[in-house]
Amino acid sequence: MRAIFRFGKIGRLRFVSHLDLQRYMQRALNRTNLPAAYSLGFNPHPVMSFASALAMGWQSEYEVLDIKLSETMSAKEALKELRSALPEELPVYECRLVDDNHASMMSLVQMSDYRITPDQHFEALKAAAREFLFSENVMAIRKTKSSEREINIRPLCVNLTCDETSFKARLMLTEKDTLKPDLLMNTLMKMAGIEDSEFSIARERLLGYSKAGKLLPLMEL
Amino acid sequence: MNLSDRIDKLMSKVLKPSRYLGAEFNSITKNPEEVDVRYAFMFPDVYEVAMSHLGMKILYHTLNKRDDTWCERVCSPWPDMHKLMEENDIPLFSLESRTPVKDFDILGITLQYEMSFTNILSALKLAGIELYQKDRKSGPFVICGGPCAFNPEPLAPFVDVFTLGDGEEAIHQTVELYKDWKKKGQTRDEYLLRAAKEVDGAYVPSLYDISYNEDGTIAANTPKAGTGAKELVFKALVNDLTSADYPEKLIVPYGEVVHDRIMLEIFRGCTRGCRFCQAGMIYRPVRERNMDTLLEIAEKLVKATGFDEISLMSLSSGDYSCLPELAHEMITRFMKKRVKISLPSQRIDAFLKDTLKETQKVRKTALTLAPEAGTQRLRDVINKGVTEEDLIRAVTDAFEEGWSAVKLYFMIGLPTETDEDVLGIADLAEKVRKCYFSVPKEKRSPGLRITVSASVFVPKAHTPFQWSGQLDRETVRRRQKMLKAELNKVKGVDFKYHESDVSFIEAVFARGDRRLSEVLVKANELGCKFDGWTEFFDSEKWAEAFQEANINPDFYALRAYGLDEVLPWSHIDSGVSMEFLKREWEKAQRGEITHDCRKGCVGCGMKRYGGTCE
Repeated sequence: MRAIFRFGKIGRLRFVSHLDLQRYMQRALNRTNLPAAYSLGFNPHPVMSFASALAMGWQSEYEVLDIKLSETMSAKEALKELRSALPEELPVYECRLVDDNHASMMSLVQMSDYRITPDQHFEALKAAAREFLFSENVMAIRKTKSSEREINIRPLCVNLTCDETSFKARLMLTEKDTLKPDLLMNTLMKMAGIEDSEFSIARERLLGYSKAGKLLPLMEL
Repeated sequence: MNLSDRIDKLMSKVLKPSRYLGAEFNSITKNPEEVDVRYAFMFPDVYEVAMSHLGMKILYHTLNKRDDTWCERVCSPWPDMHKLMEENDIPLFSLESRTPVKDFDILGITLQYEMSFTNILSALKLAGIELYQKDRKSGPFVICGGPCAFNPEPLAPFVDVFTLGDGEEAIHQTVELYKDWKKKGQTRDEYLLRAAKEVDGAYVPSLYDISYNEDGTIAANTPKAGTGAKELVFKALVNDLTSADYPEKLIVPYGEVVHDRIMLEIFRGCTRGCRFCQAGMIYRPVRERNMDTLLEIAEKLVKATGFDEISLMSLSSGDYSCLPELAHEMITRFMKKRVKISLPSQRIDAFLKDTLKETQKVRKTALTLAPEAGTQRLRDVINKGVTEEDLIRAVTDAFEEGWSAVKLYFMIGLPTETDEDVLGIADLAEKVRKCYFSVPKEKRSPGLRITVSASVFVPKAHTPFQWSGQLDRETVRRRQKMLKAELNKVKGVDFKYHESDVSFIEAVFARGDRRLSEVLVKANELGCKFDGWTEFFDSEKWAEAFQEANINPDFYALRAYGLDEVLPWSHIDSGVSMEFLKREWEKAQRGEITHDCRKGCVGCGMKRYGGTCE
């Protein structure tokens, strides 16, 4: 059996790196009575994975942790256990139990919804966003650890809207096609001729396709 | 924008933001309106080092048990953050509530090594606290403790109160005194006067006059008339460690820290009497924590933290009187929970071997041994009670048990050392290599690795070697080079040694007096900080600082102090008597050893204070 948790990363803890969070969760797990299953080998560790890594500095209310259990327990109990071991700024929202053969949460992720709030120049950025949406090709340089490559980011942005203060963006998040919200914002800033302006990013949802091909929040898959 | 938001704005621009987050699991938050005393506890180094320090964990815990006090942590911001804080007008702040340090009632600073002194000056400046104690009209009292408080003089003008010795009781006295002082509406000076009288182990440097002879040595350290300050300040001593406070929860950091595990202090003090070792003298007498208590604490800590490793802490864990029983019990008890126990590897005796075989859980990390000197003659001089046979037996046992990595620690520049003693280190390394190959091939693990580390000897206050000068840097470098060439001939040896310039500055301050405070100020102005970190230590800046202050560092580092000279710390009593230290210094010159005092009292002077030694 596997327990799938949705948790948030808010407040100061948005500055904890993904690697640190992995180690931290392992220790948190040790503080609970969750019967985690352990890997085999000389240095066994609990079998757990995150659906997607979150960049340092971004908030989120949709982080997904997938833990393999060696014994059965109720979702309610599991939720209570994990909550007891985490600080306020890592709130656990829900838990769902799935069979071991259920697809891994990581493999299901297709897109992510973000709320992006610029500190200033919102009007100019909105104008740039309109131009972006009407374009077919918007080239931007994607940097990875090993390479730098110019790609067309326009098709990777599925949706882009705004309210009074923020943009809401639905962006591709698969191994092959990914657009990170900071690259989107830097591109919009460039289009608007703005230099060095800050913005905050919050992940609101991870999404994937159901077997019937319907786009759903990850926790419903 | 409030301070916390302004700090957050910097987080995307610094290395390892987790250093400045606070909010870790088990960190303590209280309502500031509901406490009487706000205590900032500072470790003057970066977060990862600070969070590996057991003393801070103990004192944080014991202070926060009080309903009337909130203790928060403060660390030195790494230079990248320090610069950003200055540029953005952000004062030094506490980790828990991000309150400016200046707004606290007491700022406690732990002095773990001399090379952190400049960081203390940086911290006071960044906090906006007057550097010199005499200029302070408001703001927190600056109270410093830890091993370097046993020669406090170089920091004297910057500090309100030094507390010597064990902190877990004395720290409460400083807090109680603060409450009463505030209630009575007394002056700052009155707090200091009262601290000198009412707090165990409290030394108030502003209550003493220091006079000097023409040759620059000290004429006298005298308490000011009418202040009631003591002629000799004796350290605070907690006699019963079993009933002393020990944390039942530990903060679990987000980032990786140096010692990322549960630290279990099994005893304090050491009976061996190595003559170079300050810790072995100033933490006397030996006080053990009872085994049942240790097991109970360990259970609670595992549950409260989720750490998967426990290490046994003390100056010489192999000497714990029921180590085999303790180790056996810990290993069997925590095996189910997949918690590893790090044991002192030099004491893998028969009983333990069986336990280890039973569990097969022991990780074969490097066997660590500290012969400290290369020849028996020099080991006798320093009273390191190990013989070559002991060492050979220990490494042979280890190789037979499947170890293949050995770390050997030595010092260069010990009193009476000759070239032969240094060459003896290479000789010993060669013998260790031979031991490995004497174990049958099918029995030993492949891949022998021998690491030889040689630090530079630094004479320390309150040790028998306090009168010795440090070996000059030229000779140190020559001997390092010589040893390196000799070790090159031994296959499979990795040689590591310390930069002698850092050890030289360390020696200056380890035996320094009050006049050196000016050098600290100059050095810090020139940009010296994080001097314990090779990437920041700047020998030239230090030389410039000495020149500007018109002080010759050789006077402190290299000069042999006279046996009748008034030492800069002559008014500080570590419990070990001056007579004992002199006797040991003389025996050292003759190459005579003094036995471990578990085998019978050697008359170090601790008996005068009762407790364990009575």
